[in-house]
Amino acid sequence: MADQIYNAVFIGSIYALFALGFTLVFSVLDILNLAHPALFTLGAFTALFAMQQGVPAALAVLVAFVVCGAAGVILDRVAFAPLRRRNAPPLSAMISSIGVSLILIRLIQLQYGPDLQAYPAGALPAAVFSVGGLELDTLRTVIIGLAIGLMLALTYLVRSTRLGRELRALAENPRAARLLGIDVDRAIAATFFLSAGLGGIAGALYGFATNSPFSQMGQSFELKAFSVMIVGGMGSIPGAVLGAYLLSFGEIASLTFLPSELRDAFAFGLLFVVLLVRPRGILGQRDVDRV
Amino acid sequence: MDKRIFGALGALAITLAACGGTATTSASGSPNATSTAAKPDVKVGVVISLTGVGNVYGPTQKNGVELAAQRINDAGGVSGAKLVLVIDDDQSTTDGGVTAFRKQTSQDRVVAILGPTLSNTAVAAHPVAQSAQTPVIAISNTGDGIVGKCDWGTCDYIFRASLGESTAIPQTVSIAKSKLNVKSVVLMYAQDDKFSSDGFAIFKKNLTSSGITIKKEIAFSKTDVDLSGPVTAALAESPDAIVDSSLAGPAIQVLKEVNKRKPGMLVIGGNGFNTPAIIASAGAAAEGAVSGAAWYLGNPDPVNKDFVTAYKAKYNADPDQFAAQAYSAVYILLDALKRTPTVTSVLHDKLRDQIELTTGVKTPLGEFSFNASHDVTQKVYVVQIKNGQFTLIN
Repeated sequence: MADQIYNAVFIGSIYALFALGFTLVFSVLDILNLAHPALFTLGAFTALFAMQQGVPAALAVLVAFVVCGAAGVILDRVAFAPLRRRNAPPLSAMISSIGVSLILIRLIQLQYGPDLQAYPAGALPAAVFSVGGLELDTLRTVIIGLAIGLMLALTYLVRSTRLGRELRALAENPRAARLLGIDVDRAIAATFFLSAGLGGIAGALYGFATNSPFSQMGQSFELKAFSVMIVGGMGSIPGAVLGAYLLSFGEIASLTFLPSELRDAFAFGLLFVVLLVRPRGILGQRDVDRV
Repeated sequence: MDKRIFGALGALAITLAACGGTATTSASGSPNATSTAAKPDVKVGVVISLTGVGNVYGPTQKNGVELAAQRINDAGGVSGAKLVLVIDDDQSTTDGGVTAFRKQTSQDRVVAILGPTLSNTAVAAHPVAQSAQTPVIAISNTGDGIVGKCDWGTCDYIFRASLGESTAIPQTVSIAKSKLNVKSVVLMYAQDDKFSSDGFAIFKKNLTSSGITIKKEIAFSKTDVDLSGPVTAALAESPDAIVDSSLAGPAIQVLKEVNKRKPGMLVIGGNGFNTPAIIASAGAAAEGAVSGAAWYLGNPDPVNKDFVTAYKAKYNADPDQFAAQAYSAVYILLDALKRTPTVTSVLHDKLRDQIELTTGVKTPLGEFSFNASHDVTQKVYVVQIKNGQFTLIN
């Protein structure tokens, strides 16, 4: 039983890390960035590339953060900024992000092919340790710790820093934010950098956990992250985290207590029930109070 | 077109006269250059998934056929004529497959087609070749209804060179029982994946009939991002072995989770296990895994060793089963082409007859023949991963 709780925490942490980047862009700019799974994949492959050059794993995660963050800023300049300037509806931005996503995935495939890849042998911690009869492995435990740390850091950044205040002002009303002297372009760039960087870290960590990064790895997360975000409350960062753990615990619980064929039906059914009770999601608020 | 046919007939007559009717393999080099130039090319169609979901397999298939064509041409081509591949992407869709088959049969007028990559595309595209009376060799379709009795009608122009799971799995189960002494298993599979759930049904039938107890069936999803939950649930049943019918991605996760929680536990799989990616990604956790295969990398057979060396030299990577099957199919076709009186598009029926007579062709898959229903006859290799290598155990 304790085994399965540990599993649920791990899966939930990965869902949450992925969903955070998704949520951040949505909460500030009201757009669904469907290139997020591609940035996630880019993170895993950036770490792979770095480690193939001899960079240690911990540093490779940092490289993935910076590279993906920069890619996120470029993504905004190329795919979203021109549409924003012309007041295009949010759906256009979504389509534009699908385009970027396809291009990015294809570029990764051109370099690495569509097959499963592996990180250099011995580059990842493989030790398993035992706590009170529970077998835990170092890598997953580190990933859980790091994921929770990043979620707390992001929450702190949004709530209590100058940049966070700027982001919240931007989320409420871009024009008013500009009139108040906030450098809106810089705030938008920061949003994309953080969102994509987090996606990149999530990709690298997930790549480490499975040791089989491949070009389509982000796709499995898309639907789940999307559901988690809606159940948590569109645009709410703590909500997305809660939604992620709710889904992972739902999955594991149904696996333990029900026939396994019903697992997804149960887990998503649970999310559905939550939406019936709270149509705006667990922590969903009125639009003006977002972020 | 007519001129070309006469040209081909003429050229062939000259070759036949020169060689006394036997096909020759000349060493790669210049003496053949003039006669090669004189003969029209032999166009072979290849329809594979280079984009879309099937692009995990298509690219290595492309490598396999291109390597075969290059080596055949270096060795003198098809009785002196150059073998030219017409490769089209089916985009992993049925429409893409049908379009490519139409193009190749009516426009390119290929002598035969290899492909398409995925089974559901095959069921849609094969009728096009059948009605154009162009022989097809399926190189990666493992499902039912591809050859022999086809749901869509007569399919006497369709052959299959890829071993089906319904042939491989029974052998795996029998070895598991007799050699590995397995008495009980937990059966895991991805319920939303056709390959996995078909394999699951075949495993279930064979495990039951050979008296092995299935303690629990655990379904997961091909989109699952982590399988620690299902594996923990499987190990809780303490079986002798875990049977995992899934593609390579989930299989790697299953192997790693099993190894972490219960090192040494036997894991048995299907065709999804037969890829070097399993060993590269799962590392030590892949040790001991058992599966039934149409081909394995470490097969010491000289034809296979030669193929592996050439593939590595050209692509700087180990081949996989898809590459080996694609490569083999070109040689199987070559064998029939050499025996066919003429090789232009008009004599498809003669080529078909010769493909039917394929017996004991030496390929990286072993000695290869077609049975009466145009399906594979070859050895099934039950392999176990030992010291990071697929090793034969049957």
